[in-house]
Amino acid sequence: MSDKIKSSDKTKSDTNTLIVDTYFQKMARRAGGVPRAQALESAQTAIDNIKLSFSDWLDRELAGLTAEIRKGKLEKSDDLGWAAAAGMHSRRMRDVGTTMGFALVTFIANNLSRIFEAIVAGEKPQHDVIDCHIDALQLAKQEQYRHLRPEQLPELSTGLQRVLEFANEPSHGGFK
Amino acid sequence: MTNHTINLKGLMFLVADANPYFSRIVVGLLRSFGANNVTEARNSFDAIRTLTGQKVDLFLCDDKLPPHGGLQITHAIRRKTDNENRTVPILIMAGDTRESLVKIARDAGANMVVAKPLSPTSLYDRLTWIAFNPRQFVETPTYYGPDRRYKIEGYPGGVGRRVTDNIQVAEESGPALGQGDIDSLFKSARMGQD
Repeated sequence: MSDKIKSSDKTKSDTNTLIVDTYFQKMARRAGGVPRAQALESAQTAIDNIKLSFSDWLDRELAGLTAEIRKGKLEKSDDLGWAAAAGMHSRRMRDVGTTMGFALVTFIANNLSRIFEAIVAGEKPQHDVIDCHIDALQLAKQEQYRHLRPEQLPELSTGLQRVLEFANEPSHGGFK
Repeated sequence: MTNHTINLKGLMFLVADANPYFSRIVVGLLRSFGANNVTEARNSFDAIRTLTGQKVDLFLCDDKLPPHGGLQITHAIRRKTDNENRTVPILIMAGDTRESLVKIARDAGANMVVAKPLSPTSLYDRLTWIAFNPRQFVETPTYYGPDRRYKIEGYPGGVGRRVTDNIQVAEESGPALGQGDIDSLFKSARMGQD
């Protein structure tokens, strides 16, 4: 069960090199595994099953995200808890969108993740830029857009990138 | 490039990610690849508790796993001399795979970084790469982990190289965590277990 470690070389006075044969490597190389093509086919079936609940999950994440943004608009103090929570919702959507076949969701949520990360790091919130991305996310989850990739909607994707770059210019007090 | 088959039956996987939906996808993929023993952690305390309480054969961890982050856990596991999981293969899963993050992950002792969102192909081929390309470990006063002087000639099964794979040997840098920090990290996890 344990990994085998054998001292191999002492190249410098403070440097040891060790031959490590981990249990994972030893066992994974055994014969009798699932062939790659079969494993990938089976993985696609697993994804298709998980996908059945994706729309509901996405609605909940988007509701959570917009609630945090609303809090941020009302926040009078320096408390950035709303931005940290909004960043978490954005990352969640970014991290699963493409796997579920919603590449546009990942693209937009990635922009939002960067925006909230910058706000948490001290940049001034620009709610127009955030709202613009939220509108795009609402669009991206609709039936006619959900399976499109960003490059299939150049007006939307380049438009969002331009908004982000514009807001990022120092003269607009934006984020990095 | 070869088309290797990996046998994951009987191996213990730990998937650490705060997002249950993402974690469900990873677990689903691993089971599709033949894994029958997968456990999950939602935060770094749970992950460390598992890594100190039982043998884990492969650790997949989010780079932003709250509250410590996957890279600090990686560093802590590699520095803990009496931990049986010290040499466990570690795959960091990150939404942001800029070169700086890849470099930090490598210097913490991670075997590889995989980009989120995951595709079945990218995960399968990275697991295959780790299985069929064992790397010697290097131990210095400031680093313990897979030898960072390696070059990926191409993942098995046809996944292409990335620009960030052209890895240079890093200068050694001081540990991100002091030994006291590492000990307290493990102590907190143990206290939670008790």
